[in-house]
Amino acid sequence: MMLVLVSCDQKPTLQKYFVKNTESKDFITLDVGTGFLKNDKMKLTADESKALESMQKLNVLIFKRNDKNAAEFDKQKTEVKNLLKSDNYDELMKMNFGEGGISVNTKGEGEHLEECVLFLNQKDTGFGVVRVLGDDMTPQNVMTIVGLLQKSNFSSGQLQPLMDIMKPKTKK
Amino acid sequence: MKKFIITLLLAVLPSLIFAQTTAFDKFEKDGVDAVIVNRKMFELMGSVKMDPKEKDAQQYLDLIKKLNNLKVFSTKNGKIISDMKSTVSGYLKSNPLEELMRINEGGKTIKIYVKSGAKVSQVKEMLMFIEGGGPKDSTVLMSLTGNFDLNELSFLTDRLDLPGGSALKKASKK
Repeated sequence: MMLVLVSCDQKPTLQKYFVKNTESKDFITLDVGTGFLKNDKMKLTADESKALESMQKLNVLIFKRNDKNAAEFDKQKTEVKNLLKSDNYDELMKMNFGEGGISVNTKGEGEHLEECVLFLNQKDTGFGVVRVLGDDMTPQNVMTIVGLLQKSNFSSGQLQPLMDIMKPKTKK
Repeated sequence: MKKFIITLLLAVLPSLIFAQTTAFDKFEKDGVDAVIVNRKMFELMGSVKMDPKEKDAQQYLDLIKKLNNLKVFSTKNGKIISDMKSTVSGYLKSNPLEELMRINEGGKTIKIYVKSGAKVSQVKEMLMFIEGGGPKDSTVLMSLTGNFDLNELSFLTDRLDLPGGSALKKASKK
């Protein structure tokens, strides 16, 4: 009986993976608070406020691939894929295309999502993991937030490294 | 003894239910473009409230809730195409799907197979196989499971712009 209680802590989780690689030189990490959308210029409707409240944290982890870290890239990419499988995520959807792919994964009962993880990867440029933590993020709330982001023209400066990953590598 | 049999049944049952959709999982690999949408996604999409002014939206949502799993695999790789052909043949031999329709359109051959539910118009599983005509054409394998009506399906493929949409429209008018 005691064994069951102890084993929970030893399991590798995506959370631990994020923490572990924050200091690593191969990774770029970004922590975005939801404060970025709450500014005076925009008046939020009740629905929009509620949606923002449901989102608590946004972490981004990016691995930029170059000629020197190719092997490490493969290793880390596989590790993330395995974590998504083993750490009780529901895979909502997945798209694979020629050079890479995207997968959307969540944790949470029914439509009350606690966590949403977007995993983007491209063969030659790298991969990115976007992890959104929240409290009762319903699909409705997620859609409202996406609408808000578009409305506020959220400066993609912060997310530029992530955008770069998904651009096909131009041959020099 | 009874307990043993029940345990055995419970262990085997899930594999019986899920056996069908794993046959094509091997096509999640290099050289194949794939789109896979799982049940939870359909459940979440179905729970979104859409603008009541959008007439189509409600119909779209009602259908979404009836879908279980969608897999679309597309490839131009000759070797994988052969593998797809033989996998589909093998799958049809061991699963009770009927050929609903076969269309030759623009050099491509589109075959649609369905597994009916309680009523003839209710579809539990649909398999579409599109063989491209020339070396530049893709071969597409699509598997959709759930519990829907064939008429509703052509509505969906139109909206999602999936390959074979026009074929399905014809099929549902049958």
